[in-house]
Amino acid sequence: MKGEPKELKITVNGKTYELKVKAKALLSDVLRKDLKLTGVKRGCLESTCGVCTVILDGKAVRSCSILALQANGHEVTTIEGLAQGDKLHPIQQAFIDHGAIECGFCIPGRVMMAKALLDENPNPTREEVRLAMQGVLCADAGYVKQIEAVEIAAEKMRGGE
Amino acid sequence: MKDFEYVAPVMAEEALSLLSQYKEEAKIIAGGQSMLVVMRQGLLAPEVVVDVKGITALDYMTYDEREGLKIGALTTHRAIETSPLIQKQFRVLSEMERNLATIQTRNWGTIGGNLCHGDPAGDPAPVLIVLGAMLKLRKLTGERIVAMEDFSRDILEVDLEPSEMLIEIQVPPPRPHTGTAHEKLMVMQGDAGIVGAAVSITLKPGNGICEDARIVLSNAASIPLRAKEAERCLAGRAIDGDLLTEAGEVASKEASPPSDVHASEEYRREMIKVFVKRVANKALERAKLEVR
Amino acid sequence: MAEKKQKVKKQKTKKPDIAKPTVILKEEELSVIGKPIPRVDARLKVTGEAKYAADMEAADMLWGAIKRSPHPHARILHIDTSKAERLPGVKAVVTGKDFGGFKWGWSRETRDEEPLATAKVRYLYEGVAAVAAIDEDIAEEACDLIEVEYEPLPGVFDPFEAMKEGAPLVHEDRKGNICVEYHWNFGDVEKAFAESYLVREDTFQTPRMAKGYIEPPAVLAYWPDSTHLTVIPAKGSPYFPYRILSNCFNLPLSNVRIIQPFVGADFGGTKNDMVSCDFSAPMLAKKSGKPVKIVYTQFEELTTCLRRHPMWVTMKTGVTKDGRLKAIQNKVISDGGAYTRMSPLSNFLTGICMALPYKLPNFKTEMHCYFTNNPSSAAMRGHGIYHTRFAGDVQMDMIAEELGIDPVEMRLRNAIENPKPGKIYETINKLHLATCGVEECVEKVAEAIRWEEKKKDERVRGSRAYGIGFACGTYLSGTKLSGHNACAAMVRICEDGSVNYITGASDVGQGSDTVMCAMVAEVLGIGLEDIDIKRVDTAHTPVDPGSYGSRVTVLAGEAAINAAKDAKRALLEVAAKEFGVKPEEMDIKNKRAFVKANPEMSIPWARLVRMACYTTPGMVIIGRGQSSRGISTYGLADFTTGIGDIGTNYSFTAQAQEVEVDLETGVVKCTDNSVIAHDCGFPLNPPAVDTQVVGGAYHPGVGAALYCEFKMDKGLTLNPNLVDYKLPRAYEAPMTQVIHVITNDPFGPFGAKEASEGSTCTAPPAVINAIHDAAGVWIKDLPAKPEKVFWALKEKREKGKK
Repeated sequence: MKGEPKELKITVNGKTYELKVKAKALLSDVLRKDLKLTGVKRGCLESTCGVCTVILDGKAVRSCSILALQANGHEVTTIEGLAQGDKLHPIQQAFIDHGAIECGFCIPGRVMMAKALLDENPNPTREEVRLAMQGVLCADAGYVKQIEAVEIAAEKMRGGE
Repeated sequence: MKDFEYVAPVMAEEALSLLSQYKEEAKIIAGGQSMLVVMRQGLLAPEVVVDVKGITALDYMTYDEREGLKIGALTTHRAIETSPLIQKQFRVLSEMERNLATIQTRNWGTIGGNLCHGDPAGDPAPVLIVLGAMLKLRKLTGERIVAMEDFSRDILEVDLEPSEMLIEIQVPPPRPHTGTAHEKLMVMQGDAGIVGAAVSITLKPGNGICEDARIVLSNAASIPLRAKEAERCLAGRAIDGDLLTEAGEVASKEASPPSDVHASEEYRREMIKVFVKRVANKALERAKLEVR
Repeated sequence: MAEKKQKVKKQKTKKPDIAKPTVILKEEELSVIGKPIPRVDARLKVTGEAKYAADMEAADMLWGAIKRSPHPHARILHIDTSKAERLPGVKAVVTGKDFGGFKWGWSRETRDEEPLATAKVRYLYEGVAAVAAIDEDIAEEACDLIEVEYEPLPGVFDPFEAMKEGAPLVHEDRKGNICVEYHWNFGDVEKAFAESYLVREDTFQTPRMAKGYIEPPAVLAYWPDSTHLTVIPAKGSPYFPYRILSNCFNLPLSNVRIIQPFVGADFGGTKNDMVSCDFSAPMLAKKSGKPVKIVYTQFEELTTCLRRHPMWVTMKTGVTKDGRLKAIQNKVISDGGAYTRMSPLSNFLTGICMALPYKLPNFKTEMHCYFTNNPSSAAMRGHGIYHTRFAGDVQMDMIAEELGIDPVEMRLRNAIENPKPGKIYETINKLHLATCGVEECVEKVAEAIRWEEKKKDERVRGSRAYGIGFACGTYLSGTKLSGHNACAAMVRICEDGSVNYITGASDVGQGSDTVMCAMVAEVLGIGLEDIDIKRVDTAHTPVDPGSYGSRVTVLAGEAAINAAKDAKRALLEVAAKEFGVKPEEMDIKNKRAFVKANPEMSIPWARLVRMACYTTPGMVIIGRGQSSRGISTYGLADFTTGIGDIGTNYSFTAQAQEVEVDLETGVVKCTDNSVIAHDCGFPLNPPAVDTQVVGGAYHPGVGAALYCEFKMDKGLTLNPNLVDYKLPRAYEAPMTQVIHVITNDPFGPFGAKEASEGSTCTAPPAVINAIHDAAGVWIKDLPAKPEKVFWALKEKREKGKK
């Protein structure tokens, strides 16, 4: 039946949920509205800005460009799932310490993009960091501190200081 | 976006059965990176959406020296980009993928979805055409093989029947003394190219004469444009800078590029000249070095 | 159009009171200010906990949507909402008529806009009705069911159409489609041109731009009871909706409660002004009796919200033989769009700072802003000044080339020198500078980019050319417009020693919350971690005009300092009694109050606070402070004549930017050779200044120079998404180096002036000058898209052949 809610089983930030969602529901809608994960931002809903970026099965994706049902049986990590209690993830800490946060609207998506990058490639070149950041728009910070913060976090995560 | 019925088959046969059942009412969604935007804009409103993303059996890349490369239609762009196999045997595919949209799009979007979307500004089609790729299309009652070159009919229209699905992309093994390259004109990294060119040059061993040239342009017509006149300029000749310039000018005349917010038709014609020359030159260098 | 001109009372320009500077401590005595200060809201943002307007929810909440006109110019004949009202799930429908003829505008004289159009629509997609329903889909569907009969009217779509004799009028009562015009005249430009060694005239064009923030406008509104309204909007100046909604709904100000969430950037216009959703949500909430939330789509943002004016600047400049400016004469034409909004201010700003940062003895300008059937234009970072600064600094290079003068030398010859301490520099139109670091800025960027060495380099390398361009900029800081711009703060000291900083000022990402808290901590002698900021809630916080006009640090900062001093005074009175001294003989540092002459006589902060709180039953330590500099220090600027200070002080910037030009395609890229020197008086939070300066140069600056423009076709936006409208991205961003030039301005808190709107003004001319240095072509109309550069290069090659 058109419009009839369908079952969605999805693991988000380590917790498994069983939800009923409309077929046309976007993953970002379900995360924000059903699971109240408003850290997943709503920017354009048409795959141009990237602030809705989350990690799906270890890969960065734009949650506005995926039907929620496509994530059925999959694992999603959002910004809310990054910190371990009070302890921030090194990427989060690097963004704070390096002064890379302005209005903050692009930060959740950007940090998730950075995490996906560093999980896949712990020693990225500057070019690779730029390519990763290309998919998340910022309006204010000029990208410089953000690129540097990712590099700083990468070094920290590799064991450097 | 309008509501629709949704089915998520896990096997290709299931999907084909559904397509055969629903025909024009159904549309396949793979990664949805092109389709969802169009659906949100109200330009596409299928009654039934057949979600094939879960058909893991169609996500593969295999290669052998005889049969060549076989890519399952549901292989993601990112998988192709980062595959050591692709980087070794068909570097041009990996290079093309690296410039396609953003990493997030490539992580979920599939090569099959891209090809079936049929955007004349798209990057994979021109590259696959110069590589001589073939497409395996299947419906319940059988299979057919279509040359990549013949797949596009018009803007956003491909040779795919409503009950058919793209299953596999087949690329013949790289020919010896052949170099292939792809570049597009971007203002920002990841842009759809204002124009783009994929070129393959095969040289005769020994004398360095061009045995075969294939030139395919994106955003130069309503479908990926094979610039046959320009190819004829090069075939059988020793390629030098002046010849490449000539080829570029010929290709520019063959094309009928669009005018849009990004560029005028005139500028696109000028850029076709530039890119045919640049990319053909790169392909030539690679042919000389036997770079795969 | 005399009656329509922005009128500001003429005030005698008083001699500035420099005997009372705001700087209170020497740099080496500072504990918090002037060092890297971690942002107080960083953690909330990086964990996703920070809530923006679209993240807000209320029980029983409805979703709203706006019904929009399919015509750019049309009379509304009839609206039938009956079908929409009958759709299950719809709880309220409103049209323009529900607002009872209410009109609003940026100022009293310019109230020409309705929350939803009633008689006429003046731009494509202007709102005509709104629906609240149980979900977004039903609200949208209901909008489709609203039937509106229009009589399409012919329209005008750029100023040149609008100014023609007999052109259709956007507003029937506004002859000639003139939104605002100014005619200013200082000195004698004709005489100066006659005496000039070289005179040149060029026309420049700046593009129609989006503000560029990613967060679309959003609002949640509800009525706790029938006479009280609460609104949670994405606004950087919450006191604007506070006043406007009070007028709109006939409520006393104290019944309008605006609670500011985190805001995803502002940049002027839309988020510090009103759009349809800001009126519709409260009206729908009133009608339905339930909270209503409206979140714009990015499409709505890009097609209906406020834009940067496109401007056509014809600049005529006369110079002496050694390149010193003698006179500038401007003719500025701008497209104001459908409604007045802030156009009077935007256009005024194109002229008011023309005599900065270079010495200018004669200046004349004629500014005309026209109504068109396009979405309205309004403020945007670099407001007004960026247009003429672009023209001025590019033309300066053109002149330098003609005279054979090095561009850096050219700027040094013309730069205003930094006034000696105690002295004031006055421009021909009576702006006053106590500090001006532009010379040092130019020297430092030239040195950092190694100009002396690089200018000898071969520009062309293969199919690419490389060049370096320079530009200087200025920006007013601490906008002085009227009494509306005064602001206040409170500092409340809790009995356990923790401190609340209570403010009406807004941080939209520029870091002002952090800097305010740091100033309070500095004055009180405690740590930043002891301060908790209580953000804007108009029910409890004092009034403040919000984030625009580069005013927060300077003016709200002054208020914060005064409030902290007031609280400190109360505490020191208690401490002084304890030690038998006078309060002036004591101070507080490192969380201890001590006698200055004998520091061992001290008492820890927490103990002092407890004592102070319990001296009298019910004693509460609240310090109050306000800013007066916004209105009193010098006379207010006069819009009609262009005389007088628009700022409390002025920042200065110089930029050196290298570009790479692909000579075959015309594609221009900024390289990492990029330096900006910024005189913001004293950087209160250096890393924040860095990011703001870099971002200010890149997004609205390089964006204008290379990437951004709305393409229009008779009122229709042809590129209404963030890929076709090319918002600047990370791959192309230059790793700009920022150099701080410190001038310690006596009129800013701790010597500070604004940071970063100056770099918005330097980036476009620096890039255009760099393109010329690289490839020998001048691109005078922005953006310098590849196609434009390509044709310019082709033309140059062909001219060269002849």
